[in-house]
Amino acid sequence: MTSTGTVFVALLFQVENIRRLTVVFAMLALIATIIGFSLGGAALTGDMGGMTDPEMLGLLWSTPVGTALAYRLVGLALLILGLMLGRSGLWVSAIGGGLALWSFASVGHIPDRDIFWLDGLLLIHLAAIAVWIGILTPLKRLANISTAKAAADLGHRFGRMAVVFVPLLILAGLVMSYVLVGSIASLVGTGYGQALIVKVAVVVVLLGLAALNKLRFVPKLMNGDAHAAQHLSRSISFEWVAVIIILLTTAVLTSALTLPS
Amino acid sequence: MTRPILTSLMVLWATSAFAHSPLNATVPANEAIVAEVPSEIVLGFKGNIRLTRVAMTHAVHEADLDLDGFSGFISEYTIPMQSMGAGTYQIEWRGLGDDGHPMSGTFSFTVQE
Repeated sequence: MTSTGTVFVALLFQVENIRRLTVVFAMLALIATIIGFSLGGAALTGDMGGMTDPEMLGLLWSTPVGTALAYRLVGLALLILGLMLGRSGLWVSAIGGGLALWSFASVGHIPDRDIFWLDGLLLIHLAAIAVWIGILTPLKRLANISTAKAAADLGHRFGRMAVVFVPLLILAGLVMSYVLVGSIASLVGTGYGQALIVKVAVVVVLLGLAALNKLRFVPKLMNGDAHAAQHLSRSISFEWVAVIIILLTTAVLTSALTLPS
Repeated sequence: MTRPILTSLMVLWATSAFAHSPLNATVPANEAIVAEVPSEIVLGFKGNIRLTRVAMTHAVHEADLDLDGFSGFISEYTIPMQSMGAGTYQIEWRGLGDDGHPMSGTFSFTVQE
């Protein structure tokens, strides 16, 4: 997610020096993807031997989990390959990143519904999140006194775009939640609904931080306020914490918790 | 160092499987008391599943039931079992739903003296 987001951000905002960071995240994603798939094999046999059991892994491969694995591996490989090709390779990376994102649309509760437009909404939701996560590190890196001008500029351009994509992101999230949960009773009364409430609460905190950055710290930075860079940097650290909690909650929502019926 | 981490991840994954509770009914039923050891057990699922392991525990003995005769994703399994005498039989099953979700569960029944 982070590597894809960084590539998108590099394309959208002409951010430089993202290669090392992106390769590291893409490699981590590759390793996590392979371990995750092997753990599926272990869950099928009940012991660690299942992680390398060809029969179990072959069985997993024949299901949507295998399809998702293929999309994610090919996507991440393209993403890394693109980074090796220099600036023009960014488009290859972006396509790879898109494929890796699409892999999320082939497993989980949304694809189970077999509603095409819902898959589309999920993809918009994921792409918007990727861009958001992708901006955090480049912006934090710039947020010091010597590069305050560049940080202010990047923050300002991102903020202008966020006005469009953040409402889209929220709208897509709301529609998907409504389709999956269906009623207030299910929202309050089931584990899935309650986890969703936790996720939304942390999203509200994240939105608060983002608003603070956009309306307060970035304008101050543009006006040359010396403390603003420090404030922005700290605020981005808190954003990271919120993002990690949101991603963990989402992992529980999409894999561990059953939908309210 | 990696082993405990992997094990705990596996437990997490397995816990996630329980949340999907896809079992419709079993023969003998869960916690049933029967007069004699059945020659086979039946597991009926709500959807199609491929069972990957069925372990039977009786007193201190544990044995895996033979799943070789099955292939593909089906919703009803009739699995032959061997007698270990009177007492409580605990059956632990694991499998894969056709949507790719690993699933698992347990049930037990008692054979009277």
